[in-house]
Amino acid sequence: MHKFVKTAAAIGALVLAAGAAQAEYPEKPIEVIVGYSAGGGTDVMARTTMPFIEKYLGEGTSIVVKNMPGASGQIGITEVAGSDADGYTLGTFNLPGMMARTLDREAGYDRDSFTYLANVVNDPNVIVTSKDSGIETVEDLIAAAKENPFAITVGMSSLGGDDHFLLIKLQKLTETDFTIVPFKGSAPARTAVMGGHVAVGIFNVSEIAKFQGELNVLGIAQAERSDFAPEVATFREQGLDLINGSMRGVVAPAGLPEDVAAKLRDAFEKAAQDPEFIKAMTDTANPVEVVTGEDFRALTDGLFDLAKETWETTPWN
Amino acid sequence: MYSDLLSALPNVFAFANFAAVIIGVIAGIVVGAMPGLSDTMAISVLVPFTFGLEPLVALGLMAGIYNGAMYGGAIPAVLLRIPGTPAAVATTFDGYPMAQKGEGGFALQVAVVSSAIGGIASAFALMLLAPPLSKVTLLFGPSEVFWVAVFGLASIIFLLGGNPIKGLISACFGVFVSVVGSDPIYGNDRFTFGALELLDGINIVILLVGLYALPPVIDLLETPLKTDGVTGSKLGTQSMWKAMPRMKGFWKTWLRGSFIGIWIGILPGAGGSMAAFMSYNEARRGSKTPDTWGNGEPEGVAAAETANNADTASALIPALTLGIPGTAVAAVMLGGLLVHGLQPGPMLFRENPDVVFGFMWQFLFGAILLIFLGGSLATNSFARLLNLPRPLLGSVIIVLMLIGVYSIHGRMFDVYMMLGFGAIGWIMDKLKFPLPPVVLGLILGSFAEENLRLALRIGRGDWGVLFQNTTSLILVALTVAVVIGPILKRRLFDAKAKA
Repeated sequence: MHKFVKTAAAIGALVLAAGAAQAEYPEKPIEVIVGYSAGGGTDVMARTTMPFIEKYLGEGTSIVVKNMPGASGQIGITEVAGSDADGYTLGTFNLPGMMARTLDREAGYDRDSFTYLANVVNDPNVIVTSKDSGIETVEDLIAAAKENPFAITVGMSSLGGDDHFLLIKLQKLTETDFTIVPFKGSAPARTAVMGGHVAVGIFNVSEIAKFQGELNVLGIAQAERSDFAPEVATFREQGLDLINGSMRGVVAPAGLPEDVAAKLRDAFEKAAQDPEFIKAMTDTANPVEVVTGEDFRALTDGLFDLAKETWETTPWN
Repeated sequence: MYSDLLSALPNVFAFANFAAVIIGVIAGIVVGAMPGLSDTMAISVLVPFTFGLEPLVALGLMAGIYNGAMYGGAIPAVLLRIPGTPAAVATTFDGYPMAQKGEGGFALQVAVVSSAIGGIASAFALMLLAPPLSKVTLLFGPSEVFWVAVFGLASIIFLLGGNPIKGLISACFGVFVSVVGSDPIYGNDRFTFGALELLDGINIVILLVGLYALPPVIDLLETPLKTDGVTGSKLGTQSMWKAMPRMKGFWKTWLRGSFIGIWIGILPGAGGSMAAFMSYNEARRGSKTPDTWGNGEPEGVAAAETANNADTASALIPALTLGIPGTAVAAVMLGGLLVHGLQPGPMLFRENPDVVFGFMWQFLFGAILLIFLGGSLATNSFARLLNLPRPLLGSVIIVLMLIGVYSIHGRMFDVYMMLGFGAIGWIMDKLKFPLPPVVLGLILGSFAEENLRLALRIGRGDWGVLFQNTTSLILVALTVAVVIGPILKRRLFDAKAKA
């Protein structure tokens, strides 16, 4: 009897707690884990976005950004995957990197470890050449590559990232071969292209927006032109079906209660309509394209398949 | 452009903006002086808070911290032979022997004046020459940068001290440590034993704190009754007016150190410690009395401290114009700039002249303020610390080391690693293996490897790519000179002695 009362009380408390969570989420500060250092691109995205999410989750909401840098974001995202799915631990999520890392090394998470909330940033790839390379158009590039396979060097930020996947797509599409030069990060790679040490570079549009005068920008891998470089034609306009980019979003651990997930997704959707948010993101070099829930998951699946196919045909390590 | 520079000036003197620089410099000196706490860390901690601050308040704090820390690192380097920052390693060479001779106060005065001069020179380079100097950075592709690293490694030869074999072993140990982590091209794990914490390699601060801070602390605790260390009374403090005339012969060293620091600053990646080492070597080579170096030569302190401050503002030249930070601190600062919508690139100077040029002025004032804030005030208060009973002083330093190393990534793993390096450092110290080559080996090893492999990819496996242009060839010649020079000199000297 005594035991029964205890159990009943416990269940009662649980029900009450759950009820309270439904009614009042969030009732304590939410932590967002960023797998990179403070001041990095993903960190700035998170810190710029979160005040707006606080605003749309309702008064009294407090979101704390916590940096857990290391191993290209893997330490942070692994922590998110293993956290309680109560809506109080969220994490930033980078594509295609986070998926590529499940292929090229042992990862403590996979596609199903997360509840997909919202992708916030979609930063499309661009192909640029140095001013003295003599390559000014996509046709020039393809012609030069066909004439002398592997002779053209392509600088990029790393192997197994969006830059790399764009090049693989380009090579397949045009039956060409290039020599990949993977720098440590996009800024050194961009500098090497500007200095003419490599002929071609693959970047994201936000990374070259301020350098358009010092580089030839051949095209942008997005369906529409970008506000960051409106004069740059899309590859589709130039007859090449190339769409690719780097994405940054926010996920929660798998099994997040549906109502909490809905509330969070709703907040992201509202933020996406807020002109102040768009301005703040543009100022910090983040092209916004909010995609929530199932669509975000589908996006992740698509990029995982691409990474997997690439990994199986042309492994990068 | 120069009119923008002037029109940015009034705003720098706004109360909050100027106060930020002052607070920054003081905070920087304190952080730099604490073994284990580094400027990179202090600025990283600051970045999240800067979201809510006015740009020039945030940037003023950063400029102040950067300048302050580069000097602050000299304080424990002189008084305890524990470099407070990686860039202060070269300051220990002559600073600590000076302190042992009862000239610690003078050593710190030399350090603060030299730091300020280096910082001022660097700020002027940033203000007046940023666009042309960024063109110089563009000349340095992977093969050129590889040669810079080789040149730096070759100059280790000068740091070997008495026993070249032991020095080489130390350097190799440093290079080996640089190999740990994922490889720079393919990302294959090396010596990580499956630990995610090792994937990014071993942070320089962990190695530095372990190797340099732990052994002296053990010594402190080993000999509790032997209180013949540097005490306040023996510090030999004197007024700046008396100290200045003793430095009048240093102008050559200051000039050389500033030039070297600025030059290293605009090259991506190398940073303050390499600048300080190179400046020290060059100053010693140019000295009429090279034998006094390492035994308490004030000019040695001047050489190291000028150069490690001279690369502060100049490291921002490639950072602001090209987006590539010359040092770890500059990398964190770029984040702080981005937070305020200041995106690096050639447009930055035109789009946000008030903030960008204001920031440069703050660097200049930060350097000037060093003399006032870092002078007798800071020197005396830190020297007091040394009057603490030794067990207490040792314990305080250990606590600071643990906090500092833990807070880099917020994990105990790093603390254990630091203690491991501490044990290695203690053994090396007892066996008289020199420690500086380890630090330089770690910094330059990964730098050399990464750029060599990039260069070879660009050349598609052809080693000729390393000798393809004038910049590379000049660097090769310099490297050869640095290696062969001393040997030839000794031969010549021996021949003369015989004749």
